[in-house]
Amino acid sequence: MVAIQVSNLSKTFHTKHKAAGLAASIQALFKPQFSVVEAVRGLSFEMGSGELLGFIGPNGAGKSTTIKILTGILFPDAGSVQVLGFVPWKQRRQLAYLLGTVFGQRPQLWYHLPPIDTFELFGKIYELDDRETKKRISYLTEIFEIGDFLETPVRKLSLGQRMRCEVAASLIHKPKLLLLDEPSIGLDVVAKQHIRDAIREMALRENVGVLLTSHDAGDLEALCKRVIIINHGQIVYQDKVSILKRSFLTSKLVEVRYAQQVSPEFEVEGTETIKVSKDRYAIKIRFNTLQTPVEYVMAHLSAAGTLMDITISDPPLEEVIAAIYKSADGKN
Amino acid sequence: MKKYLAIFRINLLTSLAYPAEIVTRAGMIIIFMLVFYQLWHVTFTASGSQVINGMTLRDTMWYLLIAETLELGRPRLAKVISQQVKDGSIAYLLNKPYNFIIYQLAGGLGDSLPRMGILLIIGGVPVWGMAGAPPALANWPPAMIALGGAWLLHFCVNGLIGLAAFVAEEVAPFEWIYQKLVFILGGMLIPLNFYPAWLQSLSKSLPFAYMMYGPAQLFVMPDLRLFIQITVGQLIWLVILGGLLAIAFSRGMKKLTINGG
Repeated sequence: MVAIQVSNLSKTFHTKHKAAGLAASIQALFKPQFSVVEAVRGLSFEMGSGELLGFIGPNGAGKSTTIKILTGILFPDAGSVQVLGFVPWKQRRQLAYLLGTVFGQRPQLWYHLPPIDTFELFGKIYELDDRETKKRISYLTEIFEIGDFLETPVRKLSLGQRMRCEVAASLIHKPKLLLLDEPSIGLDVVAKQHIRDAIREMALRENVGVLLTSHDAGDLEALCKRVIIINHGQIVYQDKVSILKRSFLTSKLVEVRYAQQVSPEFEVEGTETIKVSKDRYAIKIRFNTLQTPVEYVMAHLSAAGTLMDITISDPPLEEVIAAIYKSADGKN
Repeated sequence: MKKYLAIFRINLLTSLAYPAEIVTRAGMIIIFMLVFYQLWHVTFTASGSQVINGMTLRDTMWYLLIAETLELGRPRLAKVISQQVKDGSIAYLLNKPYNFIIYQLAGGLGDSLPRMGILLIIGGVPVWGMAGAPPALANWPPAMIALGGAWLLHFCVNGLIGLAAFVAEEVAPFEWIYQKLVFILGGMLIPLNFYPAWLQSLSKSLPFAYMMYGPAQLFVMPDLRLFIQITVGQLIWLVILGGLLAIAFSRGMKKLTINGG
């Protein structure tokens, strides 16, 4: 079943701009200059129900605009969108019962009150009865491990604690689809892990679809099976995360430790030696699998001595994504 | 309905989160009332009469207390919506299953009620001490009904200015103009009774008299004819401004630009 269907979606914004200085300010009063920003340009994609989809792109790529159109708070200029069977900007309120949203940089919890007050308010807004709300709060408290600070005013929580409460708040009404716009922004490693674990668990337990935007490749690897990369309002890549890595990770790093010293002249043709340890027992090389076959490299490495340990790794996903952005920029 | 009561409740809780701050801020009304008393005391003394245009010094001071309470306690919707558009938090308010206007109404009431209650008490003490006892309890119900109507009118005008933020983002200049019109044409600084007849009738043909003068005048000089006149005027303006608010929201949504994407 399809949860989100987007076809030829476009959205432009008119932005006022003026040059620096007093003269330009006065001129702008009488003759304001506007520029047209095409935030989304002919975007088309689908997302299945219960799917975990990454939606990524550099700043200004059109991710947040797309998410706001999907929730019905922005009207598109062209194209069609169906979210859980509703046209968001026409049926915003009906759709709201089925959607959970987290805009990582904007708080939805009441700042001066404890999170439990916001949870109870959301229970009422989504028309849950009091018993159901209590049950749900206790369930989410367990999954997101927020029991210790449920009654502490939000202003006194750490960012990590607050974000866990933000995501929990968006799940009070058992939504069918969760739209997460940079939920891990600004969090430390431990807090990110907490959020990822809790989101993954909720998605699995309740078959909630998750559309996630993030600048952190770790979020994608931990949560998403499929990824859509957009740049300048257009899709530049979409496929499974595993295929993304396989297709773009043509470079491999190999670290080898030998039982004896390797010869000072040792090198494998078609590879680049990055580092040799001082005692000459370990060596680190990089090679491109399209130019130098893996079997060839492995044969030469094992012929050089008795192997004690070997590690083959891919470059970080961030590098892959950055390369895709760059190649898309080149085309534009 | 339950959801709007919950929104009212959470705004009330937020207002009461810092009671000392509310009381301190409400303390400003003491300074205003002291200044008003000095001004009007001099005016009445200079006129050599106990009554000017049917109002005594005591009536004038209690009139001004109601007007100041409304001014300091009225909804700040324009500022709130403008801020929500600027910081992008409007995104969270528009994607929930409620009527956005009623949400703001319930929230505004939760914010205003404690403030207005405290303003009346804190401001009433010096006025009582300086000018005399408040009007009889029988005057209160019609004045409170008119106060409710005036609050709703302020809500509508403020909401219209706030929704302009969907397009213009910065609405402080509009709010400034509206505030000054209420000061002058609403009879906030000087009771409308003291105005020349032509200015009184101009003011009464606009919504401003029903937003400030109506409840304040009913508090000090209750009169069935005036009560009917104020209530009917408020209802007419509520239909007009409420309708405009609903249209502005529906149109504004189509033009909304949210910062940060």
